[in-house]
Amino acid sequence: MRSSLSKRSAVPGIAFVRLSRLFRTSSFRLTLIYAGLFAVSAIILFGVIYWTTASFMEGQFDASVGDELNEVLGDAGGGGADSLRVVVLSSVRRDQKGWFYQMKNAAGEVLAGNLPTPARFNAVGEQRDGRRTVTIASRGAAIRGSELRLADGGTLFVGADSSQLMRTQALVARSFSIGLCAVLLLAIGSGAVISHRLIRRIEGISRTSSEIMAGDLSRRIRIHGTDDEFDHLAVGLNAMLERIEKLMSGLREVSSDIAHDLRTPLSRLRHRLEIANRRGETIEELHEAIDGSVADVDAILDTFGALLRIVQIEGGSRRAGFASVDLGELLHTMIEVYQPVAEEKGQGVTGEIDSFLLVRGDKELLTQMLANLIENAVCHAPNGTQIKLRGSRRNDGIEVQVSDDGPGIPEALRGKVFQRFYRIEPSRSTTGNGLGLSIVAAICALHEVDIDLADNGPGLKVSLLFRPQSSTFTARSLGDIQWNACGALAFGTAGASLPVDDVGRPRSARPLGLRRVRCKFASRVRRAR
Amino acid sequence: MKILLVEDDPEVADYVRQGLQEERHHVATVSDGREALFRASGEDWDLLIVDRMLPQLDGLALVRTLRAAGIGTPVLFLTALGGIDDRVAGLDVGGDDYLVKPFVFAELIARVTALGRRPRLLASETLLVVGDLEMDLLARRVTRGDVEIQLQAREFSLLEYLLRHANQVVTRTMLLESVWDFHFDPRTNVVESHISRLRGKIDKGHEVELIQTVRGAGYRIRAPE
Repeated sequence: MRSSLSKRSAVPGIAFVRLSRLFRTSSFRLTLIYAGLFAVSAIILFGVIYWTTASFMEGQFDASVGDELNEVLGDAGGGGADSLRVVVLSSVRRDQKGWFYQMKNAAGEVLAGNLPTPARFNAVGEQRDGRRTVTIASRGAAIRGSELRLADGGTLFVGADSSQLMRTQALVARSFSIGLCAVLLLAIGSGAVISHRLIRRIEGISRTSSEIMAGDLSRRIRIHGTDDEFDHLAVGLNAMLERIEKLMSGLREVSSDIAHDLRTPLSRLRHRLEIANRRGETIEELHEAIDGSVADVDAILDTFGALLRIVQIEGGSRRAGFASVDLGELLHTMIEVYQPVAEEKGQGVTGEIDSFLLVRGDKELLTQMLANLIENAVCHAPNGTQIKLRGSRRNDGIEVQVSDDGPGIPEALRGKVFQRFYRIEPSRSTTGNGLGLSIVAAICALHEVDIDLADNGPGLKVSLLFRPQSSTFTARSLGDIQWNACGALAFGTAGASLPVDDVGRPRSARPLGLRRVRCKFASRVRRAR
Repeated sequence: MKILLVEDDPEVADYVRQGLQEERHHVATVSDGREALFRASGEDWDLLIVDRMLPQLDGLALVRTLRAAGIGTPVLFLTALGGIDDRVAGLDVGGDDYLVKPFVFAELIARVTALGRRPRLLASETLLVVGDLEMDLLARRVTRGDVEIQLQAREFSLLEYLLRHANQVVTRTMLLESVWDFHFDPRTNVVESHISRLRGKIDKGHEVELIQTVRGAGYRIRAPE
């Protein structure tokens, strides 16, 4: 009973809520204001038109009445009241339909005429030249005419049926009112429709966001393809959601990585301590167990640190501190650092590096990226391997290659080596925690660098492509970026290479495609400011 | 050295204090930021070791306040905040060094020694000498005895760092950070390889080896007494 009651009241309740929400929307309120303003201006406009039309019609009417009065006077020919009376009588006798005459003496007695009696005269306007315009409403007839005061104190009235005039005026007024109503209805109706559509799209966004709050991170706001403000908002919000989802899944992955991959070394540590506790007899044995445990803990901390670093890099906060980095200089440094290390293993590190390879990035992270790649080659390739670093300018950006002539990575496994804890040797005999290339991948993603593993025939060739449209490219400050936008016009001739001076400005030519992306990037950055 | 240790975890504080006292340093411990501010500004210290997450006043604000007040006592941050940006933040407010927990004690001792009040090398000093090894910073010339030694740029910086910290232990990490600007742990023995190269040029053929390996800690350049 109660439920049916509440159900019944719920439906109009919802309707009321929706309606009241409609009224609360700012767009609807705006529509009402506009409709009101529009109505007022329409009323003024219609009023002016009506007044003009009505007075024009009345003027015409009064003019023809005046003509008739003059004609009557003219026919009388100034022959006194008697001849005027004769003319009036003959005019009445002519029985012109719709015309009315009346002649009164000074005492107000009707001498001649066909005006229905009793007739009450309503003066309209001022008296002029002894004439005044009057209207008479009598027995359903509307008469309008002109009354002339005669020299002997009597009056002469000539008028005509004005009901046609009034009907026409009423018709005009009615059409105007109908038009006004239509305008108001249209304004309110379209306001309601527009508000409803706006509400629907906003509700779509809030519905999606509550679904996301409820846990479905894969939801996205629908884009209607109208390229309006709502689509722009949706695109922006979707990009943000994309990023949040990526971060969340990164976090989830790390948590499960920690759960799975740190369990093994932790249980090994536990076993070691347990055995030492049970069987350790001499001080030396205990010391040995402690040393081993410390080494285990260090390895675990190492892994932990690397995972944290990956998460931090993936978090993207380092992007804020990007500065101009010369990859050429960095590559030279890496050769210098790793040559002695490689030589100890009977390997060699050589380079083939162009000058002025400027990118935007985080020097510390780019250093680690190159170090990890080189160390990967040093650790996994046998004695006698030649490691080669190459840095070159290409049409589509700046390319860095780290290649070796070692055993390489089988093609089927190339996609997997960037996964966390993935190691090609299942025995895990060599040192390392299986995170080196994951860090490389994270740094590449942060710098929007394309990374590619290929066969060096024999060996492995890792190619890193720094694309110009990525935020890693040259421009050091906003000034430079703006300069790029303008400079693109000045240097916008087709060219094959990207010669740049030491602050990343082109020396001569610049390919067309690049020009466009740069401009796009520049405007994006300016908007962001 | 007279050291003020600002650390709110009593266990860590005890561990650090005992370790430093074994090295014959005088250590006072405070556990909150505000008290640390009073004591650091009111007394004369050789070194402050500061945790970053402290009650009352956090480590960054503490050091910033001290620096703003014109107190230039060397500061070593000792903290669990080991993020990429955290070290930069610590050095930006005026910290002189940054060590992340958990740490190897030898690393802490080496850094404390490096920061401590020592017969400071003046910036204008242009000649570094250990035994019969001389480094002329202006001419960028290195000689041992009467023989001039040719060094590459990075070898020169490595030797310069060792000489500036002569008779002190410098760790692998300190060298990586200062000489190579590496703020991560390389998997290969970068430091060892470069040290052995440097040894080949400095010590080879000489009876006295100046560059010594300190087991479990790092390296030290020292002339025999």
